[in-house]
Amino acid sequence: MKFFFDKKNENGEPNKEQEGPLIEFNEVSKKYGQIIALYKVNLKIKRGEFVCLVGPSGAGKSTVLRLLIREEKPTKGHIAIAGRDINRLRHKELPFLRRKIGMVFQDYKLLPNKNVCENVAYALEVCDATKGEIAHKVPKIIELVGLAERTNSYPKELSGGEEQRVSIARALVHAPRLLIADEPTGNLDHDNAREIVQLLLKINQAGTTVILATHNRDIVNNLRKRVVTMREGKIISDQMQGKYII
Amino acid sequence: MKIVTLERILKLGLTNFWRNRWLSLAATFVMTITLLTISIFTILNLVIQATSESVKSKIDMTVSFYDNVEEEKIQSLETALATMAVVKSTHYIDKDEALSIWQTLPIKDRTKQLVTKDSNPLPRSLQIKAYNPEDLSKVAEFFDNYKPLISRISYENNKDIIQRLINITKFIKQIGWIISLIFITISVLIILNTIRLTIFTRKDEIEIMKLVGASDFFVRIPFIIEGALYGILASILSTFLLYLAIHFISPMVSSYLGTVAFDLNLFFGLNFWRIFLLQLGAGSFIGIACSLFSAHRYLKV
Repeated sequence: MKFFFDKKNENGEPNKEQEGPLIEFNEVSKKYGQIIALYKVNLKIKRGEFVCLVGPSGAGKSTVLRLLIREEKPTKGHIAIAGRDINRLRHKELPFLRRKIGMVFQDYKLLPNKNVCENVAYALEVCDATKGEIAHKVPKIIELVGLAERTNSYPKELSGGEEQRVSIARALVHAPRLLIADEPTGNLDHDNAREIVQLLLKINQAGTTVILATHNRDIVNNLRKRVVTMREGKIISDQMQGKYII
Repeated sequence: MKIVTLERILKLGLTNFWRNRWLSLAATFVMTITLLTISIFTILNLVIQATSESVKSKIDMTVSFYDNVEEEKIQSLETALATMAVVKSTHYIDKDEALSIWQTLPIKDRTKQLVTKDSNPLPRSLQIKAYNPEDLSKVAEFFDNYKPLISRISYENNKDIIQRLINITKFIKQIGWIISLIFITISVLIILNTIRLTIFTRKDEIEIMKLVGASDFFVRIPFIIEGALYGILASILSTFLLYLAIHFISPMVSSYLGTVAFDLNLFFGLNFWRIFLLQLGAGSFIGIACSLFSAHRYLKV
């Protein structure tokens, strides 16, 4: 499991999985009780792509993202990441998948008993990073999201926008191969939102695959990246240099 | 496991304990009460046991012989008794000893003077103790064959009282354990619930940790450390309280009961480390087990 996403396999040879798509949804359906959240979704995302996932609320964007980190399992269909069917991952393997993914949660999901610095550091601590690495990386990323002055504040002392930026910092700090952002600009004003998007672009340029779920029409239209539009649990359009169409 | 992980986890556990200090404090107090309950009832049972043993050990039977029975006959009976499995000890009381016992009895001096070395009507007797006083009836049966030799068997007169005494001690012992078990169960359930509550308030936290990529182990360990901390702090507190209680109550108990069947103070002094370590063990075990049990269900994410 440790070679998830890695370019080379155990024998040091180039990984064959590297050639296929990074993410592949195959006829994926998800039901919550009687409610159908996703219906037969097919989606391929290549390594290094920047994908905007758009659509009205309840369209199934968050469900797609939750399935990717195996917070939930699909009712039907298969999801492969780097060629591996993640439905078949054992409970013990899940942490390894999640450590390779950075996720910005819509509801931030910060640890309430930890301050900003500790929240960000936690993502490194779980992957056995050394003290030196943590001391080096955490302040840097906190500064990058503009929270240098709030390092020792606790989540309940922060504004929504600030919490969101902590969530972003935590998702980025361990340099994930895949960054998933669920409405990362939802609570930010226009300027802040643009900064965050610039940050995502920069990370993407460095080789990280980015999936951005958003309502924000301006952001999507200015990005000129691939846009996947969802509605009522289905993908209704998928354009390479897309616009917000709904 | 790497040292850096161990250090990190320890720190996480201690920080959690401190940041949730009110809940931690509550859990520690409840744990203290649990440990005190366990200790007090265990000690109480020991006291009951010691007392009932001492009562039991005082139960014996005396078989008195007619003066015309030959000394050898009595001695051969004594040897025969000694071979019986149920007999703990036998003691032959000759005329001289019977006299000296007579003289220590709390009776009037005038009555005492009726018996002298030269005119001694006191019978020779065998004093018999059994390992288990209930078995004295078997000894009594043994003497059924020698009735013509025997002037008196104390057992026959005291049979009912002995039986009642035996039943009472048995009953008290059983009741003691049952009540202790009930109280211990109740207090363990309360501590389980308290720890569940402290963990329930952090159920979202556990979920977040898992979603960020923490392994079950990494999530669980701080909770284990917290559980152990409840146990460690509570065992210190409870041993201290127990010490105070025994120190002040023990003299009162002794003066009230009169006899010193069981010196609590001495017992506590001699077994201090054992008591403390047992509490430490029990406390840590309960704390850790309850934490693991409570955290388990939230780890499934």
